[in-house]
Amino acid sequence: MTVLKSIWAHAQGRYALIVLSAWVLIAFVSLLWTPHSLWATDGYHVWAAPSADHWLGTDGTGADVFSWLMAGSRTNLLIVVLTIGVSAVIGLLLIAAMVSSAAMLSGVTVVAVDALISIPTVLIALILAVPMDASIAVIVIACGLGYGLNLARVARPQALLAARSDYAEAARAAGVSPLRVLVSHIVPNALPTMSVQLSLSAGTAVLAESGLTYLGIGVPSGVPSWGHSLATSVKFINVYPLTVLWPGLIVTCVVVALNLFGDALREAADPVANPLLRQAQVRQAQPMEAAVVQPQSEQVVSQPPQPKQVRP
Amino acid sequence: MSVDIQGLSIAIGGVPIVSDVNLHIGDRSRVGLIGASGSGKSMIARAMMGLLPPTATCSGSIRYEGEEIIGMGERGLADLRGRYVSMVFQNPGSALNPVLTVMQQVMLPLTLHFELSQAQRKARAIAMLAKVGLDASVGSRFPHQLSGGQQQRVGIATALVGAPKLILADEPTTALDSITQRQIVRLLVSLVDEAGASMLFITHDFSVLAHATDDCYVLDAGRIIESGSTRALLDQPRTPQARQLVHAARELTLHTAPDEATASSHKKERR
Amino acid sequence: MSMASMRFLLRRLALFAVALVVISVLVFVALRILPGDVASVMAGHDSPPERVAALRMQLGLDRPLTQQYVDWAVALLHGNFGVSMLTGRTISEQVGARALVTFPLIVMGLAVALLIGIPLGCASCLAKSERVRGLFHLVAIIGGSIPALWGGLLLILLLGKGIGLVGLFPSQGFPQDGWAAFPQAVASLALPALAVGIIVGAGLMRYTRAALEELMTSSAIDMAMSCGMTRTRAMLTVGLRLAMPQLVSVIGLTFAEMITGVMVIENLFDLPGLGEGLITDVGNRDLIAVQGELFMLAAFFLTIGLAVDLLHRALDPRLNDGEGRGL
Repeated sequence: MTVLKSIWAHAQGRYALIVLSAWVLIAFVSLLWTPHSLWATDGYHVWAAPSADHWLGTDGTGADVFSWLMAGSRTNLLIVVLTIGVSAVIGLLLIAAMVSSAAMLSGVTVVAVDALISIPTVLIALILAVPMDASIAVIVIACGLGYGLNLARVARPQALLAARSDYAEAARAAGVSPLRVLVSHIVPNALPTMSVQLSLSAGTAVLAESGLTYLGIGVPSGVPSWGHSLATSVKFINVYPLTVLWPGLIVTCVVVALNLFGDALREAADPVANPLLRQAQVRQAQPMEAAVVQPQSEQVVSQPPQPKQVRP
Repeated sequence: MSVDIQGLSIAIGGVPIVSDVNLHIGDRSRVGLIGASGSGKSMIARAMMGLLPPTATCSGSIRYEGEEIIGMGERGLADLRGRYVSMVFQNPGSALNPVLTVMQQVMLPLTLHFELSQAQRKARAIAMLAKVGLDASVGSRFPHQLSGGQQQRVGIATALVGAPKLILADEPTTALDSITQRQIVRLLVSLVDEAGASMLFITHDFSVLAHATDDCYVLDAGRIIESGSTRALLDQPRTPQARQLVHAARELTLHTAPDEATASSHKKERR
Repeated sequence: MSMASMRFLLRRLALFAVALVVISVLVFVALRILPGDVASVMAGHDSPPERVAALRMQLGLDRPLTQQYVDWAVALLHGNFGVSMLTGRTISEQVGARALVTFPLIVMGLAVALLIGIPLGCASCLAKSERVRGLFHLVAIIGGSIPALWGGLLLILLLGKGIGLVGLFPSQGFPQDGWAAFPQAVASLALPALAVGIIVGAGLMRYTRAALEELMTSSAIDMAMSCGMTRTRAMLTVGLRLAMPQLVSVIGLTFAEMITGVMVIENLFDLPGLGEGLITDVGNRDLIAVQGELFMLAAFFLTIGLAVDLLHRALDPRLNDGEGRGL
């Protein structure tokens, strides 16, 4: 909540929040209502100019461009949410392997991530598209994999610091399972970096959708998406250049919003730059620390107290 | 070179760091500036070098031989730095350019300020390295291949190679162990005297200051609270803050702690 | 070369080899788990069973999978990537011809990206006025948020010959004679390179700015300034040099990401490049060609990754003595 408030405090963060909430809202509205049916084609009104009836005109089959864009927003939302989910899971698994105390595992993972990260998403998508054909799953898996690798690489330093911290060491020494150490110590420390990276990846996923769909290995034809709208209008640019404007503009606006959101998040999550968060942390510090110390306290008590200072 | 600082105030992002500081360094004299960490001593040195961060604002007057440098253009300040005023940094490990060899690093001020041939530059750099006690073979090494003491010797060589008239030593020994500390202070003092330059020695450690300076100023929370000869200050500090610093120095060097010192340091911690 | 560098190099090379094997397995498996089998997909929907069987024999698909993989891998090691079912040419020949379009496009695009990204990135960090810095930053974000397809279209509408507002460059196709018609070839790559370069350049601009901003308050910059440089000069010499290893890594990664854009742009501008060829082969189900091309491209990018890692190390003398990186 504090983070949202500080994002709202900046003009750029405010733009991001407005665009992103409009996106989600429109995606849900499009499930119930669009100005025209997606399949209401009209052979007499193809490539119509914007009018009161067709706000952004019609496409080559006479279908309403605005309705298709509205419906496209839910496909893109689905793709982004799934991609982020997949890459977060993959990223976390890789991070867990990278910071694990087994030197062999962590070493191999670090170098493997460094090597695999150089394989372009589109090649993974192409490999997948051969057996799977064009589908949303191709985009989600290919992007999720690529961005997961990225995430692991970016968040590794923080995660490593947290894994080597006294808290984590103490928790391990007290017999807390590695999984719980990961969840309760390492993830919270890497979370700010991870969420920034994920919001940037969300932007890239929207861009990837339009590219892969245009190449015929993304969203299958007949399913509305922004990439689909963009790709269908491309074929007729020399005849009707205006229709190509809208889908591109929407994608750009949304990706800019996701990027600005990431920027604002970075600033908001940085306790040095954000006074609101600093206060919140001070307020939370007491109970959180108490919870952290709990599992090891028995062991500490069993040791004889050390003299604080010895002076000759 | 004589330095006159009048009414110097520095603020960063609107927060005052240094207020109304007056300070004088005579020609060929060595002056100390001592204060706890966070008291603003480094900011004074940075203001004297024109090295304040872009977010800082600065008012008052800093004169070198009567020439005002506050408000001086970036170009003019750059001409001063390395030629007339030089700085020795607290942490040479991060200050020395990691991609330059020692030789390239030491030659940099010569390249920037003098019309010399490559051979002449090299000869002067080797002579300077010899003065700070480093063999010419060190010249081809990178900073990370040197020990902390050697790094600081390179830092001093770089600062002095352009024969500046004022050296600002910003906690030059803090990052070093105590034996190396003494060697570095001795080296710095002898080289400054030999070059006929002045020095402002900044530290939080009186035990170092006693060897290095004749006069000193005590800075607390951005204000000068006490000044005078270093010896007198060491024997009879007047303000509680100065007393605390003196006792801290004794505690470190002699391992004896008068009750008074511990009492006051505790008070400080609680505050 | 120090021991640590040697060990790093060996380790990295070993990993490169392992990654190649993994990629080849992935490509192989992806093409074998098709619904139906490769032969019937390639023969087409309603071809007689005898033809499918003949094709299966011809492709060696009747042998066990491991045998097939080993055969393919051994052929790869001999530089034999197979023969396209549709054109009858060897895959290496086909890829070679297409690479002559794609690589110049990538190189030109990268040049545009560097020319835009580095200077504007420096400016967006070093500009005196905060307003100007913010504006540069916003421009970089918007530039990086444009879909390649749309960016290419806007460029065509702006500068395309016969269609754009100012008809400067051709927007469709590549000269028949290829590079023999040098001026035409360059002209036909101009808009595509610009489209790719602007988008990548915007990303590079952000990275340059971020890297420089981090160095702005570093003591290495203070040191350079105290030797007699102005802040601007210190940032442009010492700052850029210290940011270089990081930027090389970023450029390497951008290079890999750039390929999606390159494929889209090749398609849009109707250039007979690698990406366009790969998409066509996937569409035509010329699976032998797809298998060879995918592996070749993946190997190429793994090599780029290797080169970037080695360059990154070479650019930072500290890493040569085994510090950092946690390897």
